[in-house]
Amino acid sequence: MKFGPKSTALAVLAAAAIALTACGGGTNSGGNGGAAPTTLTLATLQDIKTFDPTDAHIGHRMPIYQAVYDSLIRRAPDGKLDPMLATEWSYNKDQTVLTLKLRTDVTFSDGAKFDAAAAKANLDHFKDAKGQDAYQAASMKSVAVVDPSTVAITLNSPDPAFSYYLTQALGLQASPKAIGTDGIKTVPDGSGPYVYDAKSSVKGSQYVFTKRAGYWDKDLQKFDKVSFKYLVDLTARTNALVSGQVDGALLDPKTGKQAEGAGLVAHKSQVDWQGILLYGRDGKISPALANVKVRQAMNYAFDRKTILAQQYLNEGTVTDQVFGPESGAYVPALDNTYPYDPAKAKALLAEAGYPQGFTLKIPTIAGYDAINAVFKQQLSDVGITLQTESIPDANYVADMAAGKYAGATFQLYQGEPWVAINQMVSTTALYNPFKTEDPELTALIKAVQNGGDKSADEAKKVNEYITKNAWFIPMFRLNQMYFSSKKIDVQPQLQQAVPSIYNYAPAK
Amino acid sequence: MVSFILKRIASGISVLVAIAFFTYCLLYFSSANIARNILGEFASQDQVHAKELELGLDRPLLTRFFDWAGSALHGDFGVSWFTSEPVVSAITTRLPVTLALVVVSIVCITIVATLLGMAAAVKRGWIDRLVQGAAVVGDAIPDFVLGIVLVSVFAISLKFFPATSSISPDAGAGAWVASMTLPVIALLINGVASVAQQIRSAVIKQLEKDYVRTLRSRGIPEWEILFKHVLRSAAPAGLTVLSLKFVGMLGGVVIIEQIFALPGMGALAVQSTSQGDIPLVMGVVLYTVIIVIIVNLLVDLINGWLNPKVRVS
Repeated sequence: MKFGPKSTALAVLAAAAIALTACGGGTNSGGNGGAAPTTLTLATLQDIKTFDPTDAHIGHRMPIYQAVYDSLIRRAPDGKLDPMLATEWSYNKDQTVLTLKLRTDVTFSDGAKFDAAAAKANLDHFKDAKGQDAYQAASMKSVAVVDPSTVAITLNSPDPAFSYYLTQALGLQASPKAIGTDGIKTVPDGSGPYVYDAKSSVKGSQYVFTKRAGYWDKDLQKFDKVSFKYLVDLTARTNALVSGQVDGALLDPKTGKQAEGAGLVAHKSQVDWQGILLYGRDGKISPALANVKVRQAMNYAFDRKTILAQQYLNEGTVTDQVFGPESGAYVPALDNTYPYDPAKAKALLAEAGYPQGFTLKIPTIAGYDAINAVFKQQLSDVGITLQTESIPDANYVADMAAGKYAGATFQLYQGEPWVAINQMVSTTALYNPFKTEDPELTALIKAVQNGGDKSADEAKKVNEYITKNAWFIPMFRLNQMYFSSKKIDVQPQLQQAVPSIYNYAPAK
Repeated sequence: MVSFILKRIASGISVLVAIAFFTYCLLYFSSANIARNILGEFASQDQVHAKELELGLDRPLLTRFFDWAGSALHGDFGVSWFTSEPVVSAITTRLPVTLALVVVSIVCITIVATLLGMAAAVKRGWIDRLVQGAAVVGDAIPDFVLGIVLVSVFAISLKFFPATSSISPDAGAGAWVASMTLPVIALLINGVASVAQQIRSAVIKQLEKDYVRTLRSRGIPEWEILFKHVLRSAAPAGLTVLSLKFVGMLGGVVIIEQIFALPGMGALAVQSTSQGDIPLVMGVVLYTVIIVIIVNLLVDLINGWLNPKVRVS
């Protein structure tokens, strides 16, 4: 028959595909309950640069480092500081010396012992390496070994966020033999609950870890195997989660609906605020922005509730302040500072001398095009023209830091007050490139720095100042749409984009 | 024959050098923010400047290029500025995945397009119209749309295949086949059209020739005429479009790789280029150019073997 070869060929192809999938395909999932080994597979949005702890960065990458490295202090899901490699810690009277007592029963993968000398080596190296999170060591002046299980860190000046930093990149402890070597970049050498399985891992694709034998805290080791799959594409990530290939993943409001439909459990937490940074307050690039009435007018011009409903399907909370509710610097009344009032906005603009409005140019990247279009339309209703200039993704932060524009749309995580102040308010802050300052504000910032236990309270006054003076146009706190399969229990981590590795456990 | 090959290799090398220099120039002019991107948003301007000096970003273009070229000739392509992974190892772990995907797709496209093209050319009538119509539809739908549809149906609803790639160093052949099946089908449906069309036209033209009538009058069976004689003469047209497709796919599978999370060259190329990771970008460009040169040479040789008329003496 003439069609013999064609249909035979197609039939053979089809048969081969189906037959071979029988031996290799299907969903993979860790068994749970009984003697079957437990596996946790997580999708991650960001790839790590290297396994060197000095390359660690807050947010998405932390769980990967937490798998292999212990930190000096561990942060509980609600933000409380718990002992880890440090069993207790305390400041001296003027908050400039932090003394930590350390565990003595911890060894690294290569057999080296963890002690005060190892802690000092790690802290000193972190400061010298000038990695992405080097700012965490900025206030550290020197580290002294008091005795093999006690270390004293001297700071240049009080730093209310320092003990928080010891739960992040700064606190990660690598073996003193491996610090600074090239080897640690590709093969980690830590004391954490899991050990890196280089044979099963592919850089830039998946990282596999297996349970460490003899780990000093069995309660933190909930799984036999932990695997991270780097899935930057949202479609691939959603498919992997919905088909059971991964047990947890961060999605967005729209794909979240698909996940909910597939029976996955949603864990919503708020980590970032999104809005417009008006850092050109000195007026050099845009003279109008130097006038506080203009900035306040812009705040009144936005119908935050409607934008949140339309753009983000109501996954979030509107806000007028940049400090988050759990930070301690949150002032509930401030969220009513700028209700939607275009008439008031126009009136303020006229008072400031801009009855016809003015033009403001901001950069934009693909991820912000949609929301910038909405901002543009709302500002034009009060006479302000928002010009957007497309720039490459890679240049966005760099151009902001270089002060090329007077403002930009962005989202920043709402961290501890002192972290947030150093991020966008102080004169050394990255997101205050024109270094605007004010004697009143400087005094308030100093009060926060020296406030000790009360620094969060003092930060409330900083919050009031920058909100009333409209340093920014905060819009909303967006929900992190984290979904997990029913096989695991997980708790979100305060002020972190994804849960810490310690927050996962097999479902009961 | 040997001198032909040598001449092609020589011209290939000069193409390689030209492209390497051109690429390096393009990267040079866009290297403004690389140091800042490596160090992150919290680094100070001093640290950024120090990093720039360390990477040699302040040196003139030609100095940097000859430095790079010198090490490259010794096989030292350097390490990634962002991940410190050696460029050669980064590429050799990822190239097999992309090559496997592209080669298997091309082979499947060849087989299916040949059969479809010949069926259409020989049978004409409604078969011809059906094949042409289906081919155009398949060509019009982007391969990543097909990929997403295939994943929804076969991976998520029916669970025949994994939704994302399960390829890893310790995975067996089964995992490779399972992970590649849906991507290959997507590329196949999308790629068959143009090749089938070329083969169809070429076969029609051949079937009108006198030698076919002569062979038939000699009593040679029809299938032998079609596959042994006509196909060999019709092959060059198909091979040309196949080689173009191969080259196009090397870069074009980026989105397919992303949807199926295949650990191939696509993501590496896109990420290193947008970050400005110069050693890695140069490595990717070089490997791609070398593969393209080899493929073009092979296609010419196969053409010559199949059809002595086009051989370069």
